[in-house]
Amino acid sequence: MEDLKIGVFVCNCGTNIAKVIDCDAVIDSVERLPYVAVARTYKYMCSDPGQDMIQADIQEYGLDRVVVAACSPRMHEPTFRKALQKAGLNPYFLEMANIREQCSWVHDDPLAATEKAAALTAAAVMRVAHHEALERRSVDMCPNTLVIGGGIAGMSAALDLADAGNRVYLVERSDHLGGNVARADLTAPYLDSARDMLTERVTRVVRHPNIDVLLESQVRKVDGFVGNFQTTIRGKADDGAPSDRVYDIGSVIVCTGYKEFDASRITHYGYGKLPNVVTSFELEKMLRAGRVTTKDGKIPQYVAIIHCVGSRNLEFHAYCSRVCCMTALKYAHEIKSAVPGAYVSDIYIDMHAFGKGMEDFYRRSSEIKTLFLMYEKNDYPVIRKADATDDCDMLIEVNEILSGETIELPADLVVLMVGMEAREDSAEVAHLVNISRDKDGWFIESHPKLDPVATTTDGVYIAGACQAPKDIPDSVAQARAAAARILARTARGRIEIDAVFAEVDEERCSGCRMCNELCPYVAIEFDAETRRSHVISALCKACGACAAACPSGAISARHFTDRQIFAEIEGVLA
Amino acid sequence: MTFEPRIVGFLCNWCSYTGADLAGTSRIHYAPNVRIIRVMCSARIDPTFVLKALHDGADGVLICGCHPGDCHYSEGNYKMMRRYPLLKSLLADYGIEDERVRLEWISASEGQRFADIVNDMTERVRALGPSPVKAALEADLAER
Amino acid sequence: MPDDKLQIAIYWGAACGGCDVSILDTDAFILDIDKAADILLWPIATDGKYKDIEALADGHLDVTIMSGAVRNSENEHMAHLLRQKSKLFVAYGSCAYMGGIPALANLAPREEIIARAYLNNASLEPGNTTVPRPRTSLNGYDLELPEFYPRVYKLDQVVDVDYYVPGCPPQPGQAQAAITALVMALTGQAEAPPKGSVVGAYERALCDDCTRTKSEEKKVKRFYRPWQIMQDPAVCLMEQGILCAGSATRSGCGVRCPNSGIPCRGCYGPAPGVVDQGAKLLSAVASIIDSKEPDEIDKILLTLPDFTSFANRYSVAASPLQRSHRR
Repeated sequence: MEDLKIGVFVCNCGTNIAKVIDCDAVIDSVERLPYVAVARTYKYMCSDPGQDMIQADIQEYGLDRVVVAACSPRMHEPTFRKALQKAGLNPYFLEMANIREQCSWVHDDPLAATEKAAALTAAAVMRVAHHEALERRSVDMCPNTLVIGGGIAGMSAALDLADAGNRVYLVERSDHLGGNVARADLTAPYLDSARDMLTERVTRVVRHPNIDVLLESQVRKVDGFVGNFQTTIRGKADDGAPSDRVYDIGSVIVCTGYKEFDASRITHYGYGKLPNVVTSFELEKMLRAGRVTTKDGKIPQYVAIIHCVGSRNLEFHAYCSRVCCMTALKYAHEIKSAVPGAYVSDIYIDMHAFGKGMEDFYRRSSEIKTLFLMYEKNDYPVIRKADATDDCDMLIEVNEILSGETIELPADLVVLMVGMEAREDSAEVAHLVNISRDKDGWFIESHPKLDPVATTTDGVYIAGACQAPKDIPDSVAQARAAAARILARTARGRIEIDAVFAEVDEERCSGCRMCNELCPYVAIEFDAETRRSHVISALCKACGACAAACPSGAISARHFTDRQIFAEIEGVLA
Repeated sequence: MTFEPRIVGFLCNWCSYTGADLAGTSRIHYAPNVRIIRVMCSARIDPTFVLKALHDGADGVLICGCHPGDCHYSEGNYKMMRRYPLLKSLLADYGIEDERVRLEWISASEGQRFADIVNDMTERVRALGPSPVKAALEADLAER
Repeated sequence: MPDDKLQIAIYWGAACGGCDVSILDTDAFILDIDKAADILLWPIATDGKYKDIEALADGHLDVTIMSGAVRNSENEHMAHLLRQKSKLFVAYGSCAYMGGIPALANLAPREEIIARAYLNNASLEPGNTTVPRPRTSLNGYDLELPEFYPRVYKLDQVVDVDYYVPGCPPQPGQAQAAITALVMALTGQAEAPPKGSVVGAYERALCDDCTRTKSEEKKVKRFYRPWQIMQDPAVCLMEQGILCAGSATRSGCGVRCPNSGIPCRGCYGPAPGVVDQGAKLLSAVASIIDSKEPDEIDKILLTLPDFTSFANRYSVAASPLQRSHRR
C-alpha cells in the first residue's frame, strides 16, 4: 500500500451529530489506524469553510484519501467529491461514514452511539485505502423529453421545456388532454374556472411546434440511460391498428396523476345502493352541466358533504388526500349558488386549510351559512334512507364533537369527498421507467425534503399527484421544477455520469457464460472468437450482480470491489 | 454486563439503505447493534461477505434488499433470493444458528419497519449469545 | 551425502496415498528425480526413518513435498519437523492445500466420528467398546498412538508453506511440471515463483479448457445426479441440471472428469484470487435456478441434497468458517 496518507474529517453537524456522539473520541480512536495522517472535527463539514479545511489539509498533508464521517452519503457524497476534485484529488478517493441518519439521529445512548460511529469511521478508513482513481464519463445529453401523462402537470412541464426550444413527446393514454382537472367545474379557493385554466394550457400545448401530443398512446419500453434513452410508444395508426414508434430522449417526467377512491367500499355510506349518494366527481359533472338535482330530477333542499371518504382511515388509506377539504368548501359555495335556498352541511374530521387563501376561504364558507359538523376519526356518520313521512330522502346520523350531541341530519343529496389513490397502472409505469413506489403506490422521490421531483433513476422525474396527493398549485410547481432540472442539463449539451461499472478481467475469464443472462441491461457480451465475456460499460448500471455471481471472481465491481468490502467488514468489527 | 451483539448489515443503496436513512430523518430510535455496509444492490452480496463477517467476529448478519418486483436494477433481489436458501443450508451444516443470519426486504419508505427489524434481530441474537466462531478459530490455531 | 544432489523428502499426513502415486505415475520422470535428488524420506517408496530426519541440520532438506492434511498429532509433528529441516515446503495435493476430503470430517464433532467408526456401525461386533487411546500400558510397555484432533487442518494452518500444488491428485503431467519448476529454481537455473504461489495449474477456471459447448441459456428447473439422466456429452453439464464445479475450479487437470461424462468436483481449488470456492459455487448454482418464487426455489433445491458437501468438497478447512461451530 506504500505510504498512503488518509485524512479523517468528523462533522458535528451543529448539534445533530455532536449532541449524541463524542466526535473527539471518534477522532482519538481513528487516529491510531494505519495511514491516518490527520483527523479532525468541524461544526459543518459541508459548509464552505468546512470544505476549505478539507482542501487545505489535502494540500498541507499531501493526503491521498479522505474520509468524511457525517450525514448519509446519499446527502453529501457529491459535495465532498467535488471538494476533493477542487483540491486536485480524484473524487473517488472519498469515503463517507454515515454517523447521522444511521447513528446520532437513531440512538439515544451516547456511549453506544460513539462506539458505533468509531466503528463506522474505522470501516471507512480501511475501505478508502483500497479505493482506485476512477474517471467520470462524459456522455451526450439528448434535449428531447418524454412526458408521461397529459394532465395539468404534464402540460405545464411540456410547455416550459418546449418554450426553451426543446422537443417534447407528451404521451396520454386517453383521447384528450386535461386529466382529472378536466372533470372539474371550478377550483378552490378562488373559484376560478377549471375549464378556462385548461383551455389556455391545452391550446398552447396543441399548437406548440415543439410538442408532439400523442393521444391514445402508451409507453411500452424505456431503454438506455440518462441523456441517452430510447422509448417505444404505442399509438394508433390511421386504420386504428396499434403502431409502435421509437423516440430518442434524454429525460422522462412521469405525470400520471391519480384515481379516486371507490366509495362503494365503505358500506355505511350506501354508495351504489342509495341513489342520491354521489361522489365529488359525480357532483362536478352536475355542476359543469349547470344543474344540481337528485336522481329523480328534483332540486335538493338539503345537501350534505362528507369529508375523508377512504382517507385518514386505517382500513383503506391512512394518509390525507390534501385537496378534499377545500374542494368540499368549494362545493358549499357552488351548491349555494346553484340552489340558493338549499341547506348545506359540511361533515368533517379536521379542516385542512393549509395553503394560500385557504383559511380566508374557510371563513367565507361559514359566512354563506354552511353548517359545519365535526366528527371523531373512526366514528363515522351513518346514512340511511328516510321514512316516507320525513321531508327528505336520507338521514345522516353524526356524533358531533363540538356540540357533544348526536345529530340526525336530513339530506336529499350526499356528496362523498372521495380520496386520491394511486392508479392501477402505477406499478406498470414504475417498472417501465425503473422508479419505486411506496406502500400506498405513490412514486418515491429522491429525498422527501430536499429533492422532491427527482427519483433514484437518473434522468427520470416525477411531478404532480402521482408522487402524492396534492392540488393544482403544487402539481404545477413540481412539473415546472422538473422541467427546470432538465433544462439545466440540456443547456450544457453533455453530462457526466458515474464511472462506477463492472469490468471483466479477460485474463481470468474462463468463458463459462454464467454472467451473460444475469445482466438485466444486457451489458455483458460474449465474444465467441476469444471465448471471453466483457462488459459494455455504457450500459452497465453497476448493480454488481455479475461480480458476486462470477464463479472465477473475474468480474470486479468498480468502487465496490471484494477487497474494499472485505476491508469494510474488518473495519466495522475491529 | 449484558451481551451486546455486533451485527453486520448489508443494505442495498436504493431501498433498504434509503429506508434506514428515513428512520434517521424521522428520528425513529432503535438498537445500536447493527453496523451498516452499503452495496448498490442485494445482488452484489457475495455469500463470501456473510461468511467473512462471521469469521471476523460478527454475532449476526442482516441482509436487506428491495421487495421482490421493486428492485432498482429490475431483478437483483431475486438473485439474492435464490442464493439465500443455499447459504442457510451451508450455515446450518457449519453449525451457525438459524437466527444469526437473516434476509429482509425493506423499501425506501419503511423506516419504521427497518427499526423494528433491527430491534427484533438484536434481541434474538442476544438470546443466542456471542457467536463462537472467531474465538474458536483463534483457539484452533493458538497452539499449532 | 553427495553435494550436487538435492536433498528432498516426500511425506504424507492424513492422506490416501494417491498423491504419492501421482508422483510415481510420472513414469520415466521418476528416474530423473532419482538422478537429481536423494529422497531421504518417502514412506510409500523408500526406507527412510523419522530419526534420520531428526538428525539433520535445520534447512538441510532443499524441499519437502508433503501431501495430506493434519488430522492427528503425528501429522502435525512431522509437518513441523519437516518444515524445520527444509528450505522449501510444498503443500502437495488438495488435502495439503485445502484440507481435502478428510476435512469434510470437520462438519461433525470428533465424538461422533469416533462413535461411528468404532462403536456404532454394521461391521462391528455389537457391544464393542474398544476405541483408540493416545496412551496404553501393556506388559510393562508403553504404547503411544497419535492424538486424534477435534478437527482437520490444511498444512498452512500449521506450518509456513512456500508453494501449493492442487489436485486430487495432481495430474501426473502437472506433478512433473511442478517438480521440474522446483528443481530448476533450487538449482538456480530459473527464477523461483513468488512465495505462496499455486504451481502446476493454470490461471483460469476449467470452462476455459472444457470442450463442451456453453450457451448463455443457463436456467434449470431442477438438478440431476449424474446417473439420473442421459446427458448430452457435448453440452455444458450445468446447463443440463447436473452440478459441475468446473466454473469455480482452477484448470490444469486436463478436464478429465467432464471429458469422461462426470462433473468436475472442484479438486483443483478455487480460481486465482477467490477467497472461498464454496461461496462462488453457491452463487453459480443460485444463478441458474429458474424461478422467482421462494416456494418454487425451495422445491428446486430439494433436488440438490447435501449442498455443503458439493460446495466445499475439498475445501472445508480453507473456507472462512473452516469447521462446524455447533455447540
